[in-house]
Amino acid sequence: MSVVIACYKWVIDEADLRINADLSVDSSKAKGKISDYDKNAIEASVQIAAELGGKPIGLTFGDSMSKNSLKDALSRGLEEAVWIQSEEAASADGRVTAQVMAAAIKKLENVSLIICAEGASDTYARQTAPRLGALLNLPVVTSVCNMQLQGQTLKLQRKLDDCLETVEVALPAIISVLPEVNEPTIPGLKAVMAAGKKPVTQWTGKDLGVDLQPRVQAAPLQGYVMNRKNIILQGEPAEQVQQMVAALRKEGVL
Amino acid sequence: MAGIYIYSDKANIAAELVTLARQAGKTAVLLAFDQDQADTLTQCGADQVCLLQGDSPLPENYAQAVADLLTQEGADLLAVGATARGRDLAARVAGYLDCGMASDVSSLSYQDGAWQCERMLYGGAVVQGQILMGLCVVTVPAGKFEAASGNCDITALTVGADTRVSLVEQTPIVKTGADLTNAERVVCVGMGLDKKEDLSMIQELANCLSAEIGCTRGVAEERHWLPVEQYIGISGAVIRPKLYLCLGVSGQVQHVVGVRDAKLIVAVDINEKAPIFRSADYGIVGDMYEVVPLLVQALKNA
Repeated sequence: MSVVIACYKWVIDEADLRINADLSVDSSKAKGKISDYDKNAIEASVQIAAELGGKPIGLTFGDSMSKNSLKDALSRGLEEAVWIQSEEAASADGRVTAQVMAAAIKKLENVSLIICAEGASDTYARQTAPRLGALLNLPVVTSVCNMQLQGQTLKLQRKLDDCLETVEVALPAIISVLPEVNEPTIPGLKAVMAAGKKPVTQWTGKDLGVDLQPRVQAAPLQGYVMNRKNIILQGEPAEQVQQMVAALRKEGVL
Repeated sequence: MAGIYIYSDKANIAAELVTLARQAGKTAVLLAFDQDQADTLTQCGADQVCLLQGDSPLPENYAQAVADLLTQEGADLLAVGATARGRDLAARVAGYLDCGMASDVSSLSYQDGAWQCERMLYGGAVVQGQILMGLCVVTVPAGKFEAASGNCDITALTVGADTRVSLVEQTPIVKTGADLTNAERVVCVGMGLDKKEDLSMIQELANCLSAEIGCTRGVAEERHWLPVEQYIGISGAVIRPKLYLCLGVSGQVQHVVGVRDAKLIVAVDINEKAPIFRSADYGIVGDMYEVVPLLVQALKNA
């Protein structure tokens, strides 16, 4: 049976990040989530697998925290999950991530399609799908906003900066999807209950024999500050508006 | 030859990246995949345009050929304009070279024999410095460097292309909405707008300011009151007008990152605790339905 792989990432929910006074970033109280657009990738893989009569499998690479993603991912229609657990995932760059995912995919059989989201909500680096194409020697189509399966060929619409582009590719292939591609289903109670019984394969970074040393040296995270005047105009609305017009004129933006 | 190899499907970014090469004291070679593009790029101040010719109309399909060329020439860096096509090609080349890559950097310089860059994470809330050494790949958005100019020659090479993905058709995206990226003044409306009809009030204010209208993601994607091309933020338009005036915009970081380079940010919102006021130069805590008509009047009288 042909296999459709949905690649996803368990990320820190950016809404829970706290920036300290010294601009260091506190993520100790932050909850995790499946990266927003990865839900579109999961949905797309479930849909295409149904059309192909194949099996949708989730694939994720993360530290021990990412175990929490499995039930959520499996409740979204995936039939199985593969979890590559590695504490080095936290410091992984685009190269390490792609190498690990590629090594895992090589161990799976009958893979006809690999679906990634365009980017993850933490790094939004948009490297995984194109890198996987190079590492697995498979054709890649990125920025996909519409997909149609015609036999063993995918007809894909890409949304680029100033044009819509339609391309065709024969399976097996790799695609990355934009959020426009579908509306992810919100799992019902039954799906959530069933998720706990679905099979999970667990490998470690070591099992895959990948060099987990990042090539990009990353400095600690820092909160972004925008230095602005932060002047709140006071008084009655009419006075506030007069002050605003005066300020706009003084700043030379009218 | 060694040096910086540059690709962008936008000639303006290619010319800007030539300046990056100059600042680093390196040779600049521009890559092109068709004759027209190569001709255009001869005006961008580089040392050479290298035209890679093969049998695919899609630049991404030349990633293997680019990776081979970089290796063979002993290149220092592949710098690519951060467009959809550019990011795709860049990451494929990084995959073939199995090298480091920094995506969509907000700053980039060459210091002590390494590439130092910064990039934004978590939708712009967080900045991370990154260092890359040896042959590596970066993607750079428009506007980070001054454009270079000057003529150079074209060297043409015949290469193999990956033809597994074939082009069926291309349709230009017709921009129905405002041209936000070139607007000097932008009035932005957020979820504080009660109903679609009230956009006429916003339009009147925009007319007084000769401004274009933008909106937050919710207004475009959830309420569908304005075209999606008009929403501002990390996944939408990233703009740098002289004046950005926002109305009923709470100021979530994913939105604010789209206007961080605006010269002046002015906000009107009813919630004094709204994060937008921390990102604003001037703010009025008040009801936009009261403030906007007064502002229209004041501007008309001014």
